[in-house]
Amino acid sequence: MSTIIEFKNVNKEYRSGDHILKAMDNVNFTIDEGEFVVILGPSGAGKSTLLNLLGGLDSVTSGQIIVKGQNVESFNDNQLTEYRARNVGFIFQFYNLIPNLTSLENVELMKDIVDVNIDGLNVLDSVGLKDHANQFPAQLSGGEQQRVSIARAVAKQPAMLLCDEPTGALDSKTGVLILNLLQEMSNNKNTTVVIVTHNAILAEAADKVIRIKNGQIESIAVNENPKKVTDLEW
Amino acid sequence: MKIRKRSLIWNGDGMLFKKMLRDILKHKTQFLSIFLMAFLGVFVFAGVGGESVGLEVNIDKYYEDTNLADGWIYSANLDDDFVDKVNNLSPTLQSERQLVVDSVGDFSNDPDITLHFVENNTLSKFYLIDGEPLNISDDDGVWLDKSFADAKGLKVGDNITFEFNGIEIERQIRGIGYSPEYVYHASTSSIIPDFNKIGFAYMSYEAFPGDNVPYNVMQVKFNGTASAYNDLLSDKRDGDYNSFVEQSEHSSVNQFSEEMDQHKMMGDIFPVVFILIAMLILLTTMTRIIAHQRTQIGILKASGFSNRSIMIHYISYGFWLVFAGSILGLIVGPLTLPQLFYPSMSATYKMPSWDPAWSMDFVYVAALMIVMSLVVSFIAVRSISKEKPADTIRPKAPKITTTGLLEKFGFWKRLSFNARWNYRDAKRNKFRAVMTIVGVIGCSALLVSAFGMYDGMNDLKEWEYNQINHYDSKLVIDEEAVMSEIDDVADEVNGDKLMESAIEIESGSTKKSGSLLVLNDTDLVTPTDYDWNKVEIGDDEVSISQKMANLLGVGVGDTVRWHIMGSDKWVNTTIDKIHSDPTSQGLIMSADKLEDLDLNYTPTSIVTAEHVDKNYSAIKASNSMKEMTSSWDELTESMWLLIYILIFFASLLAVVVLYNLGLLSFTEIEREIATLKVLGFKTGALRKLLLTQNLWFTAIGFILGLPVGYYILAIMWESSGDSFYILPSISPLNLLLTAAITFSLSILVNLMFSRKIKRLDMVESLKGVE
Repeated sequence: MSTIIEFKNVNKEYRSGDHILKAMDNVNFTIDEGEFVVILGPSGAGKSTLLNLLGGLDSVTSGQIIVKGQNVESFNDNQLTEYRARNVGFIFQFYNLIPNLTSLENVELMKDIVDVNIDGLNVLDSVGLKDHANQFPAQLSGGEQQRVSIARAVAKQPAMLLCDEPTGALDSKTGVLILNLLQEMSNNKNTTVVIVTHNAILAEAADKVIRIKNGQIESIAVNENPKKVTDLEW
Repeated sequence: MKIRKRSLIWNGDGMLFKKMLRDILKHKTQFLSIFLMAFLGVFVFAGVGGESVGLEVNIDKYYEDTNLADGWIYSANLDDDFVDKVNNLSPTLQSERQLVVDSVGDFSNDPDITLHFVENNTLSKFYLIDGEPLNISDDDGVWLDKSFADAKGLKVGDNITFEFNGIEIERQIRGIGYSPEYVYHASTSSIIPDFNKIGFAYMSYEAFPGDNVPYNVMQVKFNGTASAYNDLLSDKRDGDYNSFVEQSEHSSVNQFSEEMDQHKMMGDIFPVVFILIAMLILLTTMTRIIAHQRTQIGILKASGFSNRSIMIHYISYGFWLVFAGSILGLIVGPLTLPQLFYPSMSATYKMPSWDPAWSMDFVYVAALMIVMSLVVSFIAVRSISKEKPADTIRPKAPKITTTGLLEKFGFWKRLSFNARWNYRDAKRNKFRAVMTIVGVIGCSALLVSAFGMYDGMNDLKEWEYNQINHYDSKLVIDEEAVMSEIDDVADEVNGDKLMESAIEIESGSTKKSGSLLVLNDTDLVTPTDYDWNKVEIGDDEVSISQKMANLLGVGVGDTVRWHIMGSDKWVNTTIDKIHSDPTSQGLIMSADKLEDLDLNYTPTSIVTAEHVDKNYSAIKASNSMKEMTSSWDELTESMWLLIYILIFFASLLAVVVLYNLGLLSFTEIEREIATLKVLGFKTGALRKLLLTQNLWFTAIGFILGLPVGYYILAIMWESSGDSFYILPSISPLNLLLTAAITFSLSILVNLMFSRKIKRLDMVESLKGVE
């Protein structure tokens, strides 16, 4: 499998007054196409920063981020927007659906950005929510909302799905359902899935586990035989 | 895969368009207010505009159809030689002579009919409504004033008898209609026309009893400006004629255009306020929505929406509402408001058609407002592009409060929690504080100017009809009466004689029309200053009215040059005193002083404290004070209508602004209020907390609004015409009323939010952001 993502000596600093916080400290790693990657680390380790940099939501202080052969860190705002539209599907802890749009409309919102023939109902069906197509986010449970947000993210068929604590606000049973869905996306559709979490159990299901601490890579492990999410002991 | 680039603002089936519609529905009060204010702004502008432009279009067409003269040359001797000389002046295009004489109609109330014997009816033509057109070879027919004919029940074919210069003529009515010289037609003794007592009639010169018609008015049409023509005339033909009156100074033309100007001014000022308020609400609402939808914006960015399309999305909210409001205003305004004003105006002014008109200016103003709304929305949403997407998906960090000067003083610690909280809240949310104060300034300024106009109109009447004029009846002296007859009548009714004449005053290069009042020692007419204190004008003194002094730029000790209209004798006079008068601007002096200046003293009326019903041969008409005040009321009817509309809209505005800003501040501090509630603050204490803030902002806004309102009022009075003199002021009672309205609206709005505090769900409002 070919490398799709590469971090080369990535540094990220936040300044507040005289104080400098190193959120990413010389980070290097690669991710292959279609991999199911789990990034583990305690609170404040820099997991979300890593994801935001990868997703083009934030820019590096120094270093290179190469995605599909392109240097993301050199993109200007317009190029970043285009990059996000084509390559990145985000999934957040708090779902972040547009409250005034129904499930179906949240998914079909993506029609406004990319020229993909999106069959919203079909995508919703793939996350098992066809029956809830015309409900507003407030009428759905947390798990259902997260599934809508996955449907919204995959609708534009991005190269990678970036998930920031996707099960953080869910009970464990619903969480398994969501993670299973993400693993299937990776296995069946060859979508690269990167999940940020502090739940170490998920490591057993990952193709690759990147552990970070204090903004630095602690270890990178490749799982030859990842378990199915549904087989994990929660 | 291609990135879509399509205009989201027009994308009717786009999801963001749906989102916008639902967002608008969710914040319907604010958006309804934006819509309403945009509507009202254009509605009033296009409505009052439609009315005044309508007047202008109608009157212009009327003047054009009837070929109204550009100027009138008055002279006792308008022979063929003079006509040739005037026609030979290069700018002269057309001329025609008339004999204009005052006559008395043969009716029981001796109405004044002005007769026009015309040379060929080509200039200032009679406008026929009923009957046959004016025939210049008809020696037996008369074309009569429609208003007079209606008042007397006269029809085409009836006979009518006039008496002038001791001659009686009887003529048959051939036609009934209007004249462009008589759009406004009132006698010298009354400002409101009484069509039972006054009228005009047109006849061919052939109908004049006698061979040579002693023409006394020459109408002219000319190229170039009136003042250039006037200069040329006085240069070439000085001494050959008495006076020249240009079109804009003609009493009927002038009165009507002053009336139009007043309406126009009102129609210009108030929409500005409405539009500013609409923009204020738009700004606050959009800022609030942007703050509220921070994470939504974050997700749109993360999904790959460009800053540009997100900004266009938010800008389109205000655009659609302001667009819809303006279109509605453009349609409804000109259809409704003119119908409100025209009936009362057409009772005073006479012209053949009263149709509202449309002007592209309305569209320009609407377009300007739409552009302004785009700019305002842009200001509100521009912060979207500044933040990194990674920051937008996180909730905004709380604003930092720094301790300032106030906290350093010892008394800070002794202030109540209420005072400290409100001070800090205002400091932390400067934008909201400023917006609320600006909103209140707008409302109180509108209310102050509306009530100020109300007071001003009342003051004007009280000043004119109670402070200056104290008589019960005013007897208008017949021009043919001799002095001994006049004196007899004056003795019999214990009255005093007055002379009132139109004059022209000049100082340096400024020339103004005004009036001359010649008083003998009398208690019945007492000139006053602006504070209604009597001004004593000595027998050998001349007093000028304050407004005239201002217009000419002169003061006590300066010399002005003036002449009585219809006479070419100019005199120089030094000003000794300054008086003030609400409705007539010019000079006041004694009969002795007038004769000292070598001018003829010819009294025009007798005023008396007695009520006079009896008819005298030397007296043309008798007007009681009661009749005069009621005709004043009639004349000012449309003005009053405007004032009431204004007060209504100002109050409406106050409610809309205060409610919106209240809502804005409530949602902004909802979490804080919920926290305080959780901590154990009672609803009453929280209500007091919000009320305190509201009252402070209202008080500051109100105080700052006073000078603004005063300024608007000053502009309006200044635009009310050269003959009116009134300074902006408001009575303490109405000031109190304005304050009461503003503050009670503020408290009312607060009460609406009290219920919200009670119902506030503590758990929900403290949960994470949406």
